Amino acid sequence: MIKHHPTSSVLRHFVAGELPVSVAVIVASHVELCDECRAAVQLLTEQAAAQAFDDTVMGEALSGLQSDTPIEDDEFFKAFDFDAATVSDITGSDAANMIESITEQSALINSALAQTVNEIEISGTRIKLPRAIKSIALREWQGLGKLSRARLALEDQELRASLLHIDKGGSVPCHTHKGFEITLILRGSFEDEMGSYREGDFMWLDGDHTHQPVTKEGCVCLTVSSDAIHFTQGMSQLLNPIGRFIY
Amino acid sequence: MQQIVSKSYPKRESKIIANNIKTQVPAELSHWLTLVAEQRDKQAFTALFEFFAPKIKRFGIKQLGSDAQANELVQETMTNVWRKSHLYNIDKGAATTWVYTVMRNASFDILRRIKAKNEQNLGDDIWPIDMAQDELQGEEDNFGDHLMEKQMLVYVNTLPEAQQAVVKGVYYQELSQEQLAQQLGVPIGTIKSRLRLALSKLKLQMGEDYHD
Ligand SMILES: [Zn+2]
Repeated sequence: MIKHHPTSSVLRHFVAGELPVSVAVIVASHVELCDECRAAVQLLTEQAAAQAFDDTVMGEALSGLQSDTPIEDDEFFKAFDFDAATVSDITGSDAANMIESITEQSALINSALAQTVNEIEISGTRIKLPRAIKSIALREWQGLGKLSRARLALEDQELRASLLHIDKGGSVPCHTHKGFEITLILRGSFEDEMGSYREGDFMWLDGDHTHQPVTKEGCVCLTVSSDAIHFTQGMSQLLNPIGRFIY
Repeated sequence: MQQIVSKSYPKRESKIIANNIKTQVPAELSHWLTLVAEQRDKQAFTALFEFFAPKIKRFGIKQLGSDAQANELVQETMTNVWRKSHLYNIDKGAATTWVYTVMRNASFDILRRIKAKNEQNLGDDIWPIDMAQDELQGEEDNFGDHLMEKQMLVYVNTLPEAQQAVVKGVYYQELSQEQLAQQLGVPIGTIKSRLRLALSKLKLQMGEDYHD
């Protein structure tokens, strides 16, 4: 049973396509594993579609606004004005040409299946990767003790996305995050001071959280972080250089 | 489609007019989409284009911020609607929701091209548009099956291209033989004989492997 999910605001931005690509990828990977969030995304998509395509929705929103909100002048409706121009633009000969050039093309016949099979092997077990990362290359695995990490070849400014494997009995020393760190467990489980997490759980942590994840059975996670993690305690502060590594 | 909002909008009379003439989402949308998928129907596509294009353009201006890019979004979205309409599953949702997904994905990829100078399209991986296939994926969480199918696909990929198209269309995209004949522009008899040939080759290959 998945206990940790993205917030509904994150899901709304996800549906609108407004998240940075690596965050969109990790949210999509959770949604693939989580029936609850998949249903929420479906609903939010229907709402977004209605907003984009159903003028009655907009009409109702407008009349609602009109009754309660005093409208100064044309300001509010300026946004809708370009529509008139747009419509004539797109229904003229431009539209005819566009329709012509599109319908000359044939349908796409490609194998849906080839694209869905995407597995990797990590210390002897095969795991199925989320569909959202199937076209993204993985860089070399790099190991450090029971930790190993393969970065996703995904350019996303300061954000880094990685697969992280922690072997049985491994742990990440107590640390906090300078930026934020999102973790999705793809396989296995881990515990920290705040609780235990299993397959499908999605955690979004920031600088306010300090934790020390430990895994008994081992785990494979997808992570997205915006900055290096920072070790907070005694000896493990010596490890701060590897915070770079984990980020 | 006519746009109703006039410059003199916030007057009482026009409010009444606006409420009366507000456009409806045509009930035929999913029917048109099906006609495009099954018969490559240009008239149905034109109807879809007339309904969606101005709205896509409006969305594009909001998301991408320029007229040229909004036009690119219209072009790309409607091209994908034309080419991938067979991935729409009428039982799984409204046509507007599917087209929204196609549009949002294209917009996401165009924005990445502009901002990150990245040519790789990820929209359709992040937000799947093949509704028919999603169902399939949920049902088989078994690695054995995946590997088996992967092996099967290796065999399929050794077939001549024309036979591959038929096998993949029928088995992986669940198109009817009639739909395939229309999409590929060949008589139904040709589809049937290509499929027969392909299947006998596949049986042979799989048989050989079992004896190894
Ligand atoms: Zn969830």
